[in-house]
Amino acid sequence: MTTIAATGLNVATPRVVVRPAALVSGPVRLNYPWKFGSMKRMVVVKATSEGGISDKVEKSIQEAKETCADDPVSGECVAAWDEVEELSAAASHARDKKKAGGSDPLEEYCSDNPETDECRTYDN
Amino acid sequence: MAVSTIYSTQALNSTHFLTSSSSSKQVFLYRRQPQTNRRFNTLITCAQETIVIGLAADSGCGKSTFMRRLTSVFGGAAKPPKGGNPDSNTLISDTTTVICLDDYHSLDRYGRKEQKVTALDPRANDFDLMYEQVKALKSGVAVEKPIYNHVTGLLDPPELIQPPKILVIEGLHPMFDERVRDLLDFSIYLDISNEVKFAWKIQRDMAERGHSLESIKASIEARKPDFDAFIDPQKQYADAVIEVLPTTLIPDDNEGKVLRVRLIMKEGVKYFSPVYLFDEGSTISWIPCGRKLTCSYPGIKFNYEPDSYFDHEVSVLEMDGQFDRLDELIYVESHLSNLSTKFYGEVTQQMLKHADFPGSNNGTGLFQTIVGLKIRDLYEQLIANKATARAEAKA
Repeated sequence: MTTIAATGLNVATPRVVVRPAALVSGPVRLNYPWKFGSMKRMVVVKATSEGGISDKVEKSIQEAKETCADDPVSGECVAAWDEVEELSAAASHARDKKKAGGSDPLEEYCSDNPETDECRTYDN
Repeated sequence: MAVSTIYSTQALNSTHFLTSSSSSKQVFLYRRQPQTNRRFNTLITCAQETIVIGLAADSGCGKSTFMRRLTSVFGGAAKPPKGGNPDSNTLISDTTTVICLDDYHSLDRYGRKEQKVTALDPRANDFDLMYEQVKALKSGVAVEKPIYNHVTGLLDPPELIQPPKILVIEGLHPMFDERVRDLLDFSIYLDISNEVKFAWKIQRDMAERGHSLESIKASIEARKPDFDAFIDPQKQYADAVIEVLPTTLIPDDNEGKVLRVRLIMKEGVKYFSPVYLFDEGSTISWIPCGRKLTCSYPGIKFNYEPDSYFDHEVSVLEMDGQFDRLDELIYVESHLSNLSTKFYGEVTQQMLKHADFPGSNNGTGLFQTIVGLKIRDLYEQLIANKATARAEAKA
């Protein structure tokens, strides 16, 4: 089981209980009932790295190959390859997003708030 | 069980809260007040009319090039909702909201594995919810739409979607359910041929560790039966089909870089007038490269003809080859008619605005841009029509 540290999260307190249902590099669900007064509201803190998705893709391909070795036309085989396709698409989107840049925080801020003083551009 | 607070190393704005506007309510619905002189037979006059566009496309949604071009034609950049789930598939701009139909999966990735169905199977999708929410948005009511997280494969808590001026539903099954189909004002189907699909998937996935040519091929083959059974038949309902085929200009080309793209436009659709070349309804074959325009290999070839597609009358505009220079683009644009542009060169301008998008130098980009302009035209005509109907009803 991957430790919290591997997913890039800072652990605020030394004692951490990771619920067995949590995924390897998936979301950690936090409950702030005092903020919203409703147990149904959950804040999901994610630190999904690109490495996470690539690993998933690789794993799913392995699984698909194994499942299909038994029976190439079964529902399981088809569902397994569909999962591979979905994960590959997600991985390529993540790659594009990374390439498109989350590199410059000022760019990001200005694209969201062009009217602020830091972001005004004058054309004349 | 002790649960400690864990702070991620990412910026604080990556943590998200649901619907910060309504702190105590869980479901946030509001109805716009109908106008005061509401007689029995008039329309409910909302402050804003919403038109619904359906786009059927495989592999991913919301972030695709087509969507970006479409939203750019209407103005404004489409972005994921601010302060929401970072893995949300929704894109919102000033005029447009793009909803990914994957959000209406009834089974998440693990559920599908258990039930042995693919995402293409209608059993994995909740069409009732899709119909209700699209209907609600169309009539001006905000909805709490579930989120399908493509990274984890789980269904996340819902996000609030406000009714926009233009709602685009993109995914695998926009035209599958008849009730949803009736709500669509315009529908588009992106039909990629198998060879091109294979070439594109190779380009996309070969960089991915774990993938090989065989695994990519196996993945396409395994999905094909479900795709042909559930997704492909939607073609016949679409008002516009963009078919992407391998080029005929380069013999034995299997790179998929030069493409032959056909824009199949249904005749007789309200507010939609098909693009034509030189003479509407005739058959034209046109190679623009010659004395006035010099093109480099492999050149450009256009075809225009009336045809029949699944028993419908259609007009087909076809482009084979690619644009190398700006003046090729503007030359071609000046010879096409019924483009619904607001000024000369608008298509070229839109293409140049997104010159870094894939397909910007061939028919895919050109026809996607043209379809975007047609949708804008449809929207404006619909609004104008509703406005006159309202004025007449009042009088």
